[in-house]
Amino acid sequence: MPTDVENWKSEVYGNEVRDRLFEFAEEGYDSIPDDERDAWFERFKWWGLYHQRNGQEGYFMLRIGTPNGVLEPGQLRVVGEIADEYARGPGTNPVFGDAYADFTTRQSIQLHWIELSDVPAIFEKLEANGLSTQQACGDSWRNIVGNPVAGKDGQEVIDAWPVIRDLNERFKGNDDHANLPRKWKVSVTGSADGSGQGDINDLAFEPAYKSVDGDGDASGDAVGFNVRVGGGLARNEPRFARDIDVWVPPERVPDVAGGLSALFRDHGDREDRYNARVKFLVDEWGAEEVRETLQAEYVDFELETAGRDVREEYTYNAGEGERNDLIGVHDQKDGANFVGLNVLVGRMGAADVLDLADLAAEYGSGEVRLSQRQNVIVTDVPDDALDAFLDEPLLDDYSPYPSPFMRGSVACTGTEFCSLSIVETKNRQVRFARWLKENVDLPDGVDEFHVHLSGCTASCAQPQIADVSLRGMKTRKDGEPVEALDVGLGGGLGEDPGFARWVTQRVPVDEAPGAIANLIDSFAAERDEGESFRAFVARHDEDELDALVDPEETDYEDPMMHNTKRTWYPYAENDSMDDAPSPPADD
Amino acid sequence: MSDRLLRVNAYTTLDLVEGRARGHEFEAEAPGVVNVTAPREDPEQVTLEVELDGTEIDDIAAHADEIDLSPAQARTLAEALESTADRVEAARNGDGSR
Repeated sequence: MPTDVENWKSEVYGNEVRDRLFEFAEEGYDSIPDDERDAWFERFKWWGLYHQRNGQEGYFMLRIGTPNGVLEPGQLRVVGEIADEYARGPGTNPVFGDAYADFTTRQSIQLHWIELSDVPAIFEKLEANGLSTQQACGDSWRNIVGNPVAGKDGQEVIDAWPVIRDLNERFKGNDDHANLPRKWKVSVTGSADGSGQGDINDLAFEPAYKSVDGDGDASGDAVGFNVRVGGGLARNEPRFARDIDVWVPPERVPDVAGGLSALFRDHGDREDRYNARVKFLVDEWGAEEVRETLQAEYVDFELETAGRDVREEYTYNAGEGERNDLIGVHDQKDGANFVGLNVLVGRMGAADVLDLADLAAEYGSGEVRLSQRQNVIVTDVPDDALDAFLDEPLLDDYSPYPSPFMRGSVACTGTEFCSLSIVETKNRQVRFARWLKENVDLPDGVDEFHVHLSGCTASCAQPQIADVSLRGMKTRKDGEPVEALDVGLGGGLGEDPGFARWVTQRVPVDEAPGAIANLIDSFAAERDEGESFRAFVARHDEDELDALVDPEETDYEDPMMHNTKRTWYPYAENDSMDDAPSPPADD
Repeated sequence: MSDRLLRVNAYTTLDLVEGRARGHEFEAEAPGVVNVTAPREDPEQVTLEVELDGTEIDDIAAHADEIDLSPAQARTLAEALESTADRVEAARNGDGSR
């Protein structure tokens, strides 16, 4: 028996939803019949709109899906203008102000406080500038991710950008792939650093060489992609994508991607949404059966077996090695530079977005790219413009040479806007990062330290692949319930990805920075020469690690220890639900 | 690696309770999570889920207990919870009523 969501989807889908969405925008938020609200909110997700949480009725988060995080010249300015004009509401964030844009862990952009009545104007402006919100949410192909600097990266094995563009064109808005059992997250990586994070995606293409029989001529290896299926982090059931022993040349990627999407469409669980992600199908069938079914029923050519990958060179988010992220100055293939700037917790005020758009145009080509660590990369900066660019005052706030705790921070949206979260996140991680920067030194030779803060088990901040993973909970302190964090250690991608081990539960949030400080002190004192944090964690058992996470009050103060999900907005002066604003007046 | 078994988010019924795991040979105190749930579609029973934090209890493997209740059983439980809550509250208020 199909789920409710399935029924709502089949009744009105895709482009019909857009028409109705525009009608509601015209007639006003109140024109959505009360008993149909849940159904319409579910359908709006297809166009990138998520209703915000309890206490923020009538306001939506809007997600702009930018494949591979690419913002072509001019597009960042458009995002800044839309944020400036529309992403404002009854709440003011004490750190970030009134209007801001969030760069996400899927290389997309999120704007908050969006009113339904403004949606037509926003869509018009986005579409006129080649941007789209289509399928950014909902049970369909989500924003396709990859190594952000595809096509330009000096370390590239194969240019994944045309592949991603092609997939986006074929499968976005494609009715045959528009109504899947659940979300479908695809990654195409072409670089040797693993920055497409394929292992945590439903479908991953990673660079690989294959000697393919040509006309019997002397072989060279052809370069293409190996295929993995069934990665995903959510709901305490994290999985890495499984190797299905398939290699494809670039021109065959759409066939295999479409084949696997169709396989998921036909065989994924539509009875139980909690069992619907393809990772559970791969668990059930095994990689071999996935391959056999793909071969027999979904492609019309002989699949090659897996080629020689470059996983031993993967460093992105790996917990060790060089280039754990894309911050700093790096070489492009064409001799110019790409400059990765740290955007703390991925949030940038609208004015800064506009400034950065101007700088990118002045010093680069105007193009920027977003990374899965919530940061922004300015491409195409020639050598002779580099010094002047690095001198720009804006780069004091978005630095290419930030403190490890600043660059290592990732945080989800949290109770500020999200109805799933248990705790405050972004502002909290800003406070944590600032305190750690002031108070903790990493041992010599340790230049990166990743702390990912997620508000609940949905894991949108990808906590399981960080050095220190923090996940929202509650505890009792001095007789009062307060916000708390479960602590995991030692996660990372790389050649052999590993999920964090959850070792300590319910640390009161004001004791978390002290806990991290104590942990790092112990690491510094006890590590073997040159040992990475990830390796250090790996050789201790859970009890030993629990002891190293030694929660402690310090001079860190946390103004949000109370139950922020019970406020209408954590930073409002009168924050109780009774003081929640009414839905926005439609003008 | 023992992660939580129950998903915990803002919709979880109770994300902070105090409890005990008690066996013939041991007793351990721990905070925990309690959740009441049923499948979104065609639910056949009410499920009561309980998980005490695994990091606090060494004597048994980390686990969650899940009890399936018929609607009638769920109501019996609800009534018992309500009336006992009344009694506890009255006692706290020094009411002395029995």
